[in-house]
Amino acid sequence: MRIGAFGVVEDRRRLQSRITALRVVISVIFVLLLGGFWFFQVFQHAKFREMAENNHQRTLPLRAPRGVMFDRHGEVLVENRASFNISIMREHSRDLDRTMRLLAKVTGADEAGMRETVERHRREPSYRPIVVVQDATLAQVAAVTARRLDFELPDVVVQQVPTRRYPADALGAHLLGYVGEASEQQVADGGVATGTVMGQSGLERTYNQILMGTDGARRVVVNSVGREIRTLDEEAPTEGRRVQLTLDASMQRAAEEGFRTTGYWGSAVVLEPASGDVLTLVSLPAYDPNAFAAGIDKATWQQLNTDELRPLQNRAIQGRYSPGSTFKVVMATAALEEGVITPETKIFCAGGGTFYGRFFQCLGHHGWMDVRHALEKSCNTFFYTVGNQLGVDRIHDWSEKLGLATKSGVDLPNEVESIIPSTAWKLQRTGERWYPGETISVAIGQGQVSVTPMSMAVMMASVARGQRVTPRLVKATSNGGTWEPVQNPTAAAPVTLKPDTVSAVHDGLWMAVNGAGTAVRAKIAGRDVAGKTGTAQVISLQGRQRARGNGKDLRDHGWFVFMVPKDNPELAGVIFAEHSEHGYLAAPIARHIIETYYARKEGRPLPVMPAVPGTPGFTAPPPPTRAVAGGDDEGGLR
Amino acid sequence: MFERRLSTHLDWSLLVAVLAIAIIGIVMIFSATGGASREYWTQIYAVVLGLGALVVCLVIDYRTLVDKAHWIYLALVLALLAVLLFGVVRGGSRRWLDLGVFNLQPSEFAKAGLALILAKLLGDVRRASPSMQDLFLAVALTAGPLLLIANEPDLGTAVTLLPVLGVIVFAAGLPVRYLGIAAVVAVVSAPVAWMFALQDYQKERIVTFLAPEQDARGAGYQQIQARITVGSGGVTGKGFMKGTQGQLRFLPVAHNDFIFSVLAEEQGFVGVVVALGLYFFVIIRSLDAARLSKDRVGAYLVLGVLACFMFQVVYNITMSAGLAPVKGLTLPLLSYGGSSMIATLAGFGLILNVRMRRFTN
Repeated sequence: MRIGAFGVVEDRRRLQSRITALRVVISVIFVLLLGGFWFFQVFQHAKFREMAENNHQRTLPLRAPRGVMFDRHGEVLVENRASFNISIMREHSRDLDRTMRLLAKVTGADEAGMRETVERHRREPSYRPIVVVQDATLAQVAAVTARRLDFELPDVVVQQVPTRRYPADALGAHLLGYVGEASEQQVADGGVATGTVMGQSGLERTYNQILMGTDGARRVVVNSVGREIRTLDEEAPTEGRRVQLTLDASMQRAAEEGFRTTGYWGSAVVLEPASGDVLTLVSLPAYDPNAFAAGIDKATWQQLNTDELRPLQNRAIQGRYSPGSTFKVVMATAALEEGVITPETKIFCAGGGTFYGRFFQCLGHHGWMDVRHALEKSCNTFFYTVGNQLGVDRIHDWSEKLGLATKSGVDLPNEVESIIPSTAWKLQRTGERWYPGETISVAIGQGQVSVTPMSMAVMMASVARGQRVTPRLVKATSNGGTWEPVQNPTAAAPVTLKPDTVSAVHDGLWMAVNGAGTAVRAKIAGRDVAGKTGTAQVISLQGRQRARGNGKDLRDHGWFVFMVPKDNPELAGVIFAEHSEHGYLAAPIARHIIETYYARKEGRPLPVMPAVPGTPGFTAPPPPTRAVAGGDDEGGLR
Repeated sequence: MFERRLSTHLDWSLLVAVLAIAIIGIVMIFSATGGASREYWTQIYAVVLGLGALVVCLVIDYRTLVDKAHWIYLALVLALLAVLLFGVVRGGSRRWLDLGVFNLQPSEFAKAGLALILAKLLGDVRRASPSMQDLFLAVALTAGPLLLIANEPDLGTAVTLLPVLGVIVFAAGLPVRYLGIAAVVAVVSAPVAWMFALQDYQKERIVTFLAPEQDARGAGYQQIQARITVGSGGVTGKGFMKGTQGQLRFLPVAHNDFIFSVLAEEQGFVGVVVALGLYFFVIIRSLDAARLSKDRVGAYLVLGVLACFMFQVVYNITMSAGLAPVKGLTLPLLSYGGSSMIATLAGFGLILNVRMRRFTN
């Protein structure tokens, strides 16, 4: 009993000590817990506060709509539509790989392409959204949104963004240009963030700064599945400035219709001589700028770049061609201005002439010719003689004064320089001196003469006005209120022609259309159309022999330059039709543009282009529809 | 049964502290579930029912209860069997018995039941330390309900039975060298268990705990979010119902497993100190009850009930701070859960009972 009692006491003491041990252990644990909470909540609070904010706050960029472009009469040419972009915000990704797999599955997008896109932007900050599906369909948006409600894809955002909408028929594609994400080079040049949509071509590029506007941003609170709970603050985007072009949409449409109807590729430029306003600027074949607006797919881009017809090239400012007989307008002007001839000077044409020991042919035996008749009949002999008297350097100088040499200065990117040779030019290029015999070829627009349709149009407008014209495409800009006119560009070297020169050249060109000339197809009753045809050799006779059968189209190009009316012209321009062989086959396009111009001006219904016999677009009468006739032209060309 | 003078010996401060924690829990559930939600009202009813259970466990002399422990134990084992046979399946496991009015989770009551039977078993032993035979019996009595609960499956709750066994045999005088042997066996068997016993997903959990960034989507995500939640609370917290992590659901089951994280986020370090202080007070006060107990049976009963309470409190709070692997283990008194609340309050009824009757015969 005693021992037992002792044992109980002993046992009791052990129980007490073990309870004390438990008390010590639990106290230590609670001190450690308190320390842990202190460490996170006090010591590392700043770090975790930032992480919590990153969790639930997102800054979503609000893309500014680009400025709307209007034609000179207020018709909307380029506007914006709402589209959806699906982006990945890697900052919120728990498993990027899974996100891409799932996203590709639900949207039906190309997973490899998506991975490539993400890889390309891998080095950017992870909070910046990477657009993986541009211009998503409503079905894709719905599929993604549904998945997000299922607590999946918390790192995927669907954003509504304004996207460019161009005319459905790709009207003025090269002129208006297209937009695209800033290239690596553009990002490196500064000022723009990656992913910025900016003008990459045409007016979109030239006037990108004013068209672009300022993006806004919205800071929102989102929950764990990325759903927006509320907006914290918002900075509204500023729309880009509106731009009024000098372009006349109906004339532009008429010109493109003209090419489709005749079945030619080529270019047309029509200016208003008094102002330099570009009323029409066509380059065909074209591309659909809408395909670029929401990010062009690789296949289309590849195809556009490798197409032998070079649809991406703006032929009006980037294509250089031999002007042929249209160059005689420059020759006549230069000779009259230099006093080499007077309007009354007559030169005898016996079917050609011998210069520097070589016989140069004329296409007819024209007899005694003054400058007016020489232009009417396109007499080579007359211009050989005049050219020989002028010398190549004076021809070059006058080409430059009329805007034909050098660049026209039109407000479009990547214009190439027209080439009119001179002694200095040849020496610099080849190290050889100029042979006077070469001047004879230059006099009829052959040899090294190589010009863009735009520079030809500027030359014609300058001759029409009697004064150097500088082309321009933008009339005014506005932020939605009043239009602020854009100042007229001043000519590089203002030149004014003598009234005698102007009237003689105008008369000659009028006779070419309305008399016994080559351009009667451009004749419009009651309108004093003045003009000149030309043929540009694609290849020399010897070359033609060699190249036979290699499948390339070697037929000559046709030119038609014109102004209307003869006195104080309201329009001056150029039609360039590839492989049309004869300039007169290009003239009906000019005629259609001119008729459209007057119909618009006088408030009559716009004319419809009739089929032109002798052109590839002309099928056995009556043509079923114009569209089919136009669609056939590719076959006709090859 | 209940003598008026007994109330003078009731530990009112412990009861008040327990109720204070329960009320904080109700408030936090209100916040985490976005207002007067279904969970909020359920929790209030559970506290009321739990107080009833507490009173019942208080007025019956604990010695009577211990005396009848084998019947209580048998009833619980039958209830657990019934769960496996007719239980309600929710979230992939069978844990509840449908009683018409509400669903009951018998496993929550198994903890107190186990404490009673182990107290009876070891409290009756007159030796200085329990014999091998007693130990085996204790282990077997624990293993029965443990395996039944683990089969539901509810490994989290099953594991909470182990501290009950451990603390009672420790208090009953298990030689320290046995504890040392158990520790050595655990250390040695860990790699073996890793190689052969653990399932892949279980290994994954452990790896995730050691390097949460490796698995930022699954359990690792929750752990990181828990740390962000706690850390972003700062000293004074973001304010009631203003916690972004809990309110915007970056933290899963905020009203349940991660209720303490929500408290830390919204009430800050100040709130954490208050809550930890209350829990600490409750535990120390309960240990006092064990110390003051008139007999060993009472001491063991208190320690057994307290053991699983301590284990869950420590584990859940550690997990809430992102410092332990995420496991479905609730925080007693604070987390949402009707059965848990009733069983916990009933357990405190037993603790209060032992202390209250320390002078009675």
